Amino acid sequence: MLRRALQPGLSRGVLGRGLGTHRGRSTLDQNGKVSEIKKKIQSVLPRGAWNPLRDTSYLPPEHSDVVIVGGGVIGLSVAYWLKRLEKPQGAIRVLVVERDHTYSQASTALSVGGIRQQFSVPENIQLSLFSVEFLRNINEYLAVVDDPPLDIQFNPSGYLLLASEKGAAVMESNVKVQRQEGAKVCLMSPEQLRNKFPWINTEGVALASYGMEHEGWFDPWCLLQGLRRKVQSMGVLFCHGEVTRFVSSSSHTETTSGEEVTLRRIHEVHVKMDRSLEYQPVECALVINAAGAWSGQIAELAGVGKGPPGTLQGTQLPVELRKRYVYLWHCPQGPGLETPFVIDASGAYFRREGLGNNYLGGCSPTEEEEPDPGNLEVDHDFFQDKVWPPLAQRVPAFETLKVRSAWAGYYDYNTFDQNGVVGPHPLVVNMYFATGFSGHGLQQAPAVGRAVAEMVLDGHFRTINLSPFLFNRFYLGEKVQEHNII
Amino acid sequence: MLKIIIPTIMLMPMTWMSKPHMIWINTTTYSLLISLTSLPLLSQPNDNSLNSSLLFFTDSLSAPLLTLTTWLLPLMLMASQFHLSKEPLARKKLYITMLILLQLFLIMTFTATELIMFYILFEATLVPTLIIITRWGNQTERLNAGLYFLFYTLVGSLPLLVALLYMQNNMGTLNFLMAQYWTQALPNSWSNILLWLACMMAFMVKMPLYGLHLWLPKAHVEAPIAGSMVLAAVLLKLGGYGMMRITILLNPLTSFMAYPFMMLSMWGMIMTSSICLRQTDLKSLIAYSSVSHMALVIVAILVQTPLSYMGATALMIAHGLTSSMLFCLANSNYERTHSRIMILARGLQTLLPLMAAWWLLASLTNLALPPTINLIGELLVVMASFSWSNATIILMGVNITITALYSLYMLITTQRGKHTHHIKNIKPSFTRENTLMMLHLMPLLLLSLNPKLILGPLY
Repeated sequence: MLRRALQPGLSRGVLGRGLGTHRGRSTLDQNGKVSEIKKKIQSVLPRGAWNPLRDTSYLPPEHSDVVIVGGGVIGLSVAYWLKRLEKPQGAIRVLVVERDHTYSQASTALSVGGIRQQFSVPENIQLSLFSVEFLRNINEYLAVVDDPPLDIQFNPSGYLLLASEKGAAVMESNVKVQRQEGAKVCLMSPEQLRNKFPWINTEGVALASYGMEHEGWFDPWCLLQGLRRKVQSMGVLFCHGEVTRFVSSSSHTETTSGEEVTLRRIHEVHVKMDRSLEYQPVECALVINAAGAWSGQIAELAGVGKGPPGTLQGTQLPVELRKRYVYLWHCPQGPGLETPFVIDASGAYFRREGLGNNYLGGCSPTEEEEPDPGNLEVDHDFFQDKVWPPLAQRVPAFETLKVRSAWAGYYDYNTFDQNGVVGPHPLVVNMYFATGFSGHGLQQAPAVGRAVAEMVLDGHFRTINLSPFLFNRFYLGEKVQEHNII
Repeated sequence: MLKIIIPTIMLMPMTWMSKPHMIWINTTTYSLLISLTSLPLLSQPNDNSLNSSLLFFTDSLSAPLLTLTTWLLPLMLMASQFHLSKEPLARKKLYITMLILLQLFLIMTFTATELIMFYILFEATLVPTLIIITRWGNQTERLNAGLYFLFYTLVGSLPLLVALLYMQNNMGTLNFLMAQYWTQALPNSWSNILLWLACMMAFMVKMPLYGLHLWLPKAHVEAPIAGSMVLAAVLLKLGGYGMMRITILLNPLTSFMAYPFMMLSMWGMIMTSSICLRQTDLKSLIAYSSVSHMALVIVAILVQTPLSYMGATALMIAHGLTSSMLFCLANSNYERTHSRIMILARGLQTLLPLMAAWWLLASLTNLALPPTINLIGELLVVMASFSWSNATIILMGVNITITALYSLYMLITTQRGKHTHHIKNIKPSFTRENTLMMLHLMPLLLLSLNPKLILGPLY
């Protein structure tokens, strides 16, 4: 024993490091245990390294009833309506997990900010009508004591959709549906177009539909910050982290027709902190997937789509990232202040931005020319080749323009039918979706938030019936095709 | 008494030396056997006590409470199995040891002869409870809860120590059996009023009295299931038991000193019942209902009539079993949905019909349905307070109505209606859970056949 104690080796390093001045080994120090205990005691004493009450305020709570993955406008809208519609007040604990608090890649912040009712699917029209009513009365909905009122700079200039010969019949039937739902849209012939908007070149235009009320554009960042402020005042917790794992359990049951299904239930969400390996398991009852363009990855983590393809188990969430460019240009002879948000028959669009003859616009690329969504770099050649020619043809004043700046943003593109996915997943029982809006999420956000909150609290949609938008349609193959997608 | 205490002490080495797959089985069966050993003490032939030794005695007040305590340990162990299943073995054994230690202290408290020994063990029960709440609770708020629990009780009971020492000096003994015969009427003076307050405040905090009840919702909600069960069923009754014993030594001051506390209790019981109607958290609702029921017990004890003492004892036993059962039901909900919010787990009757039957029976006993012992207790208390002052019947009547309202509200919100989408795949009820509920309910229902066991010494 003495010989072991006197042997050099690891233990000497332990002893020598700051524990005392004597370098020899005491006979009591068997295998370095005493020195280790001494070290531990010293670290517990006041000047030591171990602090049992370290500050963990940056971590999310260990338990939250609802976890909303994604803090963009959809996620915040769901949080707002959950807190607003719950009876009694203050019952549910909601946690919003957002990976990037600067919103540098979020679709909300990079959006063009338009809102229209000119859709072909009636549910989309209803969603948009409620959202515009929300936006017009935003200071009644999102008022916070002692804070200044919001100014979302809603420009109600309307949308102008132009259709060629081929699309004129579809446009007429769409306008009929829109009028039935209560949107105020008028159809214009090329003659009327020229009278109203002298800067338009109506060559190739057979019909145009012009929204007269409740359409236009607004500042999405203001809506986001307003929602964030209000939602924080209602008691929702925010967490700066990334969801890396769902701990779930599954159980097997039989349907009435005798086939076996596996139902999953998420118990915990692991939220990883930014730039560190530390994570916090958050015990939850419900998860709401509002992660926008990245919802597909979140759904995969939860086990959606893990199964043989063609079955409900194997149906994945068909939401993926698609990059879209937006260009800002200056054109001093351009259309005036009355310019609506113009969407050409070719798919190119533009709108006025501010009061200094600036215009925003872009065009959705075709399937073959989809840019790589790996980064948010802008392709200026795309403007030269694909955006400028149709716009210059439609608005002759745009033949001379100067591009000021451009940016790119992501669409949470639903590859199945380009409409949102709302509601619970049939097999992962406590995951709700609110994603996949393919470019019109911002304008439907308030209404979608309310719909999801109603689904969570009541079990069914109460105000706007979004059952065509449930997840089941991906398995059943029932497309809710929207014709007016830009 | 040693035949209960020594086996309880020996449960601890048995836990530590059991094989891993036998710890639950061993502890549950042996604690059940110990509870059967305490049953014979219930047969109290007269209003004297059964004196086992100089240190321990039982009379018809402490025997039912003792039986309740020993009956609760196997139930606590059964309820804790699920949430401890993922812990390492040593921690499981530590948890069981804490429960057994708590049990031991409680047994000795209820049977103590000497009031100083009662006090020491009264304080000692705080330690394992605090460890259970702060170490095994579910949320970060448990640290706050433990602090509130510890310091409210300690600050309340420190004057009690001083008062007991003073009385020991005065009377020469604090042996309860002798003190009740040697006690003299306390003349009315400021120092005697302070003595009265010092003696009673500890138990008022423990009961809890309405103004001092802040620790209870926190502690009950943050504690794990066994902690909630033992807190609701037994620890609150320590306060009632202590008050019943100590008021014997404090005559005749109680007749006028009791006024503020009576007012506070009666107002408090309506207030806390009303708070229950607004609660969203299931455990919080049950915790506030405990405060409300215990306020009735405080009123009964302060009125100091034979009828009220019978009501108080019956209510304590009945509430112990009912409250513990409600906590077990809430816990079975929580284990499945991971949320204590009532509206997130609705319509369970269609999914778990047997559990719905237990929910129904527990809610019915909570609202004091005849012929349960809950009703006997409440009715006797209402009658006694009516004879003390006619006006109290209004307050008592309002309280009974609101109690019925929130019990049924809890039942309807959790059981009836359409179930939410996200509880479709909860696990069906385990046999262990059903046994737990039945073992809570059987004594409750059987006692309604022979309530004189729990009606206390003045029957």
